[in-house]
Amino acid sequence: MTESLFYFLASLTLLCALMVVISRNPVHSVLFLIITFFTISGHYILLNAQFLAAVNIIVYAGAIMVLFLFVIMFLNMNKDSESRVKTSTLSKFAGTIAGGLLFVIMVAAVKDTTIAGYNADTFTSQTGMVETLGAVLFTQYLLPFELASVLFLVAMVGAVMLGKKEAGEQHF
Amino acid sequence: MLAFVLTLVLLLGIVIVLAYAERKVAAFMQDRLGPTEAGPYGSLQSVLDVLKLLQKEDIVPAAADKKLFKLAPILIFAAVFAGFAVIPFAPALVPAGIGIGVFYLLAIISLDVVGLLMAGWGSNNKYAMLGAMRSVAQIVSYEIPAGLAILSAVMVCQSLDFQEISYQQGALINQFPGLEYDMNWLFGIRELGINTTTIGGILTWNIFRAPMLLVSFVLYFIASLAESNRAPFDIPEAESELVAGFHVEYSGFRFAVLFLAEYSMMVLVSLVAVVLFLGSWNTPLPNIGPVSLAYWTSGTVGELSGILWGAFWLLSKTFVLLFLQLQIRWTYPRLRVDQLMHLCWKVLTPVALGVVLLAGIWRLLMV
Amino acid sequence: MTSIILLSIFGIINLFVGFMKSKRILLPLSLLFLAVVFGANLFSWNEAQSYFNHMLTIDNYAVAFTGIMVLATLLLLPFSQHYIEEANENLAEFYSLLLFSLVGAIMMVSYENMLMLFIGIEILSIAMYVLAGSDKRRLRSNEAALKYFLMGAFFTGVLLFGIVLIYGATGSFYLTDIAATAAVNDGTVNAMFTLGLLLLVIGISFKISAAPFHFWAPDVYEGTPTLFTSYMSTVVKIAGVAAFYKLMAAAFAASYAAWFPTLIAITVLTLVVGNIGAVVQTNFKRMLAYSSVSHAGYLLMALVAFNERSDASILFYSLSYALATIVAFAVLQYVSEQRNGDETYAAFNGLGKTNPLLAFAMTVAMCSLSGIPLTAGFFGKLFVFTAVVQDARLMWLVVVAVLMAAVGIYYYFKVVIAMYMQPAADAAKIRIGSFASFMLIFITVFTILLGIAPALVSDLL
Repeated sequence: MTESLFYFLASLTLLCALMVVISRNPVHSVLFLIITFFTISGHYILLNAQFLAAVNIIVYAGAIMVLFLFVIMFLNMNKDSESRVKTSTLSKFAGTIAGGLLFVIMVAAVKDTTIAGYNADTFTSQTGMVETLGAVLFTQYLLPFELASVLFLVAMVGAVMLGKKEAGEQHF
Repeated sequence: MLAFVLTLVLLLGIVIVLAYAERKVAAFMQDRLGPTEAGPYGSLQSVLDVLKLLQKEDIVPAAADKKLFKLAPILIFAAVFAGFAVIPFAPALVPAGIGIGVFYLLAIISLDVVGLLMAGWGSNNKYAMLGAMRSVAQIVSYEIPAGLAILSAVMVCQSLDFQEISYQQGALINQFPGLEYDMNWLFGIRELGINTTTIGGILTWNIFRAPMLLVSFVLYFIASLAESNRAPFDIPEAESELVAGFHVEYSGFRFAVLFLAEYSMMVLVSLVAVVLFLGSWNTPLPNIGPVSLAYWTSGTVGELSGILWGAFWLLSKTFVLLFLQLQIRWTYPRLRVDQLMHLCWKVLTPVALGVVLLAGIWRLLMV
Repeated sequence: MTSIILLSIFGIINLFVGFMKSKRILLPLSLLFLAVVFGANLFSWNEAQSYFNHMLTIDNYAVAFTGIMVLATLLLLPFSQHYIEEANENLAEFYSLLLFSLVGAIMMVSYENMLMLFIGIEILSIAMYVLAGSDKRRLRSNEAALKYFLMGAFFTGVLLFGIVLIYGATGSFYLTDIAATAAVNDGTVNAMFTLGLLLLVIGISFKISAAPFHFWAPDVYEGTPTLFTSYMSTVVKIAGVAAFYKLMAAAFAASYAAWFPTLIAITVLTLVVGNIGAVVQTNFKRMLAYSSVSHAGYLLMALVAFNERSDASILFYSLSYALATIVAFAVLQYVSEQRNGDETYAAFNGLGKTNPLLAFAMTVAMCSLSGIPLTAGFFGKLFVFTAVVQDARLMWLVVVAVLMAAVGIYYYFKVVIAMYMQPAADAAKIRIGSFASFMLIFITVFTILLGIAPALVSDLL
């Protein structure tokens, strides 16, 4: 059951991720990206990491992707503006070759890797639970966790600074 | 599956009552009569409205993004309805009891926003687009004070499980596995020496277990009005400017679904407020010495009496909050968009942060 | 650790001071803060200690690089005076962002865990994205911010992917654990490990603008307000190189064979692209951008050498490069302001006559950048080259580098020629504050002092 669910979710994830790239309409791309995040949350739940699954949805599907949608809808991209963006054949070729090479290397890397498995004695199904996660976050990873607040402060100060209206500012 | 059907039927019932109540309350507040024709005192009016909507032609605008347009109402309703899955209706009765229920609810409700944007954008209509934009901006902003207010309750209760939070707020606290030896004190202050564990009733509701949760309750209630796009935060569908907001192009069955989702959202946020702050399905009546009113009005856990009493108290508290929402709608004028943001970012959020801090200190020192 | 805590607190204090009407106090206050941090940092010298479950280690390496980065910030802040004169609204935010970004920079030189490296890089980068776009009235600045952000975010993704693959292969974020796993497996655990390592190298190469990941640098450097370009090409680059060396030394020493070919290719390419690219520029600021690419190449040479002299030579080179670059950007800022934003070589015409101090400071800086003896830059290059020739097989790399340094002399002296040999178009003297001119003199003297007595710094590590 779990295994077939995994394969179902995994193929759905890949399909949606592909659709993100293939879709002509940017709004559809973003919506597919949201589905992708949902399926990834599904994977988290399969791994018994409920908290991560919920956070993934709240942060990505609920907040970040909505901002994406907002911006794309405000940009008002229609068919005219789409045709004006031209990519040269050379860069298409270069992109395909580079991406293909990376893909080949990835496949080789994964093929080469042995799955470590787990020790049934030390395995605990509670690893992904919010209590365990909180305990790890506030003991072992306390310093990076706290310093991430500096990161957010920087981002916040920056956003306010850039967003504030200033005399002589233009809209380009 | 049974839970699904039961919840859906219950929800439909509540929404129909609510739609009728909305018109009647509005009428009384404006010194009118409201619906009078259909049924006694017009009580069948909402049912007939639904029937009328179902018969109407389903119009999809020619220039709309058809897939998104058709999908949006279903997504919006599914998001709201999925939220009901974790709400405990009575002791030992919760459709899906998961350990991180509160968090799940926040996550699934945020999906609502995506549906709104799909509806607004897919309609290919400027009113709809503007309405969706406003609505989403408002919901995303007010999720922050709402989330912080919920967080303070969660911090005091030390649980993300709605059912555990419910048990904590009444005389049945020791019947929940894991809480066998927990005790409640008046205002959460042990030094007062008043043990309310067996007294129960209103004294053990979260707003009395930890008094600063009263502030979070008010914060949450205001934010939840905004989240369900209710007046005075109804600029997304301000009829004088935007006709009807994001659902301006919808008709027939799809409109009915959107309408249902909107009222379900009201019910859902009120339910959450009741569960988190107002004692959930617990009775408000305390045990006073030999007169154990709390036990008499709680029934037995796991039996029909428990379910009936639980559902009765939960729904009556919810209806009180819903009535409050209706009353506010006809009392306060609509906020301008800058006032809306001012209230959210400069008033509610700082206060909510303060309450969270206080709740943390309270939890460490008092309980 | 004290410096991280102090900088975070000082940054917040700075933000609150920004509420006051007068902005005059901000500069002295920020300088005081930096001086305090610089002093507090020195107390950890020779007292290596690791904090919070070995998340970071403050050893002499960290202290030395922290010292240089704080010093560089301290030296370039006085040149922000024109922001005070024009009463810029965002002055407090500028200073706070600089202080916060130093937190990230310090994390990058003292991390023991990949997570710390990542957060450090992010703190530094996000602050720089914002500062690059801080001049909202200029289209160029907007463009710089957007370009830097898009590219930076993409390469952060590459870096993160590398970290994830390394984690997948070794099961740990700790440098020591990764090194231990690599050591038992002859340096190459499996293909995933190697791929992760290469992605890490690419990610960090972007941050220090090494070719072929340098293409953002000229546009971004040109568009960013000069003060922050100066910060970007000194502190950000030093932190990047120091983090790079620490990563390689602490985690991937055993995997030398895996990353050496890639890194040497990057180094040679960086040297050639940076120097040749700088030759064809007519805009002085763009030239400095290419020159900073080429200096990344010299710094990477020390990393390629990878022996006991590497860290000391990176340290000395960073310091000499930072001093000269700060002067170059400071003088550019004064000159271009006088000439209505003209940043070409022609703007410097006749500066030797009108402003001898600026011209002299610039000349010393250019000498130092091109590696003329009696300046710090000479010994910087010398130490790097001697570190490389320890391995006789790398002799050819030194030959390439010397050739490229010769090319460098050509374009660095273009501006010197313009200053002394060309007639001035505008005879007006450029006004400089007394504190700023004192700073210019101080840096110039320091550069020459290091050129005479390099042992002051070179023997630290």
